[in-house]
Amino acid sequence: MSTTFWILLTACLTGIACGPIGCFLVLRRLVMMGDAISHAVLPGIVVGYLLTGVRDPFIMLAGALGVGIITAWLTGIVHHVGQVDEGASMGVVFTLLFAIGVILVSAYTGQVDLDADCVLYGEIAYVTWDTFQIGSTDMGPRAVWMLGGIVAMNVIFIVMFYKQLKICAFDPELASSLGIPTGVFHYLLMTMTAMTVVAAFESVGAILVVAMLAVPAATAYLLTRHLWFMLILSAVIGCLSGLLGYGLAALFDSSISGAMAVAAGILFLLAILFSPHHGIAVLWARRLLHNR
Amino acid sequence: MGYPFQGIINRRSPHFPIILIVCLSLGCSGKNGMNEPGEKAAFKGQYPIRAVATVGMIGDAITRVGKGLVSVECLMAPGVDPHLYKASQKDVDRLDKADIVFYGGLHLEGKMTEILEKIGRIKPSIPVGEQLPAESLIRSEMKQGEITTDPHVWFDASLWAIVVEKIGEALAGFDPSHASAYQGEAQAYRKEILELHEWAKARIAEIPQSQRLLVTAHDAFHYFGRAYGIEVRGLQGMSTASEFGLNDVNQLVDTIVERKIKAMFIETSIPRRSIEAVQQGCLARGQQVVIGGELFSDSMGDPSTPEGTYLGMFRHNINTIVDSLK
Repeated sequence: MSTTFWILLTACLTGIACGPIGCFLVLRRLVMMGDAISHAVLPGIVVGYLLTGVRDPFIMLAGALGVGIITAWLTGIVHHVGQVDEGASMGVVFTLLFAIGVILVSAYTGQVDLDADCVLYGEIAYVTWDTFQIGSTDMGPRAVWMLGGIVAMNVIFIVMFYKQLKICAFDPELASSLGIPTGVFHYLLMTMTAMTVVAAFESVGAILVVAMLAVPAATAYLLTRHLWFMLILSAVIGCLSGLLGYGLAALFDSSISGAMAVAAGILFLLAILFSPHHGIAVLWARRLLHNR
Repeated sequence: MGYPFQGIINRRSPHFPIILIVCLSLGCSGKNGMNEPGEKAAFKGQYPIRAVATVGMIGDAITRVGKGLVSVECLMAPGVDPHLYKASQKDVDRLDKADIVFYGGLHLEGKMTEILEKIGRIKPSIPVGEQLPAESLIRSEMKQGEITTDPHVWFDASLWAIVVEKIGEALAGFDPSHASAYQGEAQAYRKEILELHEWAKARIAEIPQSQRLLVTAHDAFHYFGRAYGIEVRGLQGMSTASEFGLNDVNQLVDTIVERKIKAMFIETSIPRRSIEAVQQGCLARGQQVVIGGELFSDSMGDPSTPEGTYLGMFRHNINTIVDSLK
């Protein structure tokens, strides 16, 4: 199977995994959670390494996932107990955890090549060769499996709890009065976010994950008023960003994940201009017609 | 052509998490044995053989050894730091189309090492540094007892001569019909490198014993120090990605002031700011240290300059060091 095919498939899966989760984050104003988690996992990797003494990707991934979930939870606690705004509590929690990671690296692991960049962040450019084998049978790129799994989990999660997630996203007070445990759903969503982010950046790298989480969801938000359509649209826009980005990367011979993130940004810009409800260009054209 | 997992992905079955966990635990352990390069079938395609090298030094060796028969492309351009290199779309293409891949190994290429190993399942992918006899490699023990190996083997020209020979053997094994040509070129190049080795030893000996301290930004010069009898101090760790601590700076300043060292060196692939911090520290203690010049550490010079070859790059480093420390 060709390299290009696998890269595009991986990009689409990343878009489908991240987009819908990103929608809920956009609605809850927690979209930078992905960025926060991608930094905060550093101590998890280091502790995983220090405990086992080997640079085993599976252990580090487990450490990262643990700290990713802790980040999401701690942010909630700081927000509620400390009465600080969610953005600020995210800032406090992830910088603290990241800083602990930096201290651990410089204090305990002097010479070893150990940092998130080196160990945990994947690179979408290499997915074709990063295959895994069962026995001696080659099963295809690891990233495709991993992201496929995340996509399936997210789809099951969203389909099962669609109603609860929807009410929690738009009107938490109504949700409480209806007897929906909002706290539980908040932390479930945060856990899913952490799993998605950690698994995805292990496969495709951090820039692409943060971009895919935030940008397609925000773009979809501009284009529709229906949650279900926004979820689907965000996944589609994620895929489109991947395809468009690959074209850009080929054109400029540049980093593939960088180009995909830029493509997502371009699509967002188009949505700002041409969104049917409040696109700048659309409003402007409407006014022009009205005045005439 | 169907892909073995397509059905599973689309099925969204409740068993998926289980499948996933099994896959992850198998896939992530990454302990799959690497194929021996020699096992692959002999080359049958069109000449020139398309070889891809990661760093310039390896590319240079292949160019010499495979003269006329092999076309070489290097992934990392001059001035690029291999620990932090990011592949572009064309690099992916190059790797995809290559007939044979050579890389440094010993974790020189950072995270990409794993990928280069896995490419070895599809086509010959050879970590040249790992072909060296184990006892010639410099290992350092970690605080946690893990042992890592210094990948910067090209700075000991006598070791690099062995690498050249190994590249000759690898190409001969890959393309047996031209085996004698590869081995002949490898021997000729090896001789040149060994001459360089002797010359370098003689030049370094010109520096007074007490002044033989090479201060650089990152720990790339341990092989150099061992081979040519000069003490080496790097500010950063072996990987350029690690941060240096305040203590590292202070200790380095102490040593420089104590031994009245005249010059420090910056590296082409690393920002100079870290070494300038040490310079400031020494100045505050009344010791003037100049920056003796730029050394090539993890990459070579521009291909159009003399420093664009291994021999030229090496000579440049030796001359820069000797002229400023003497």
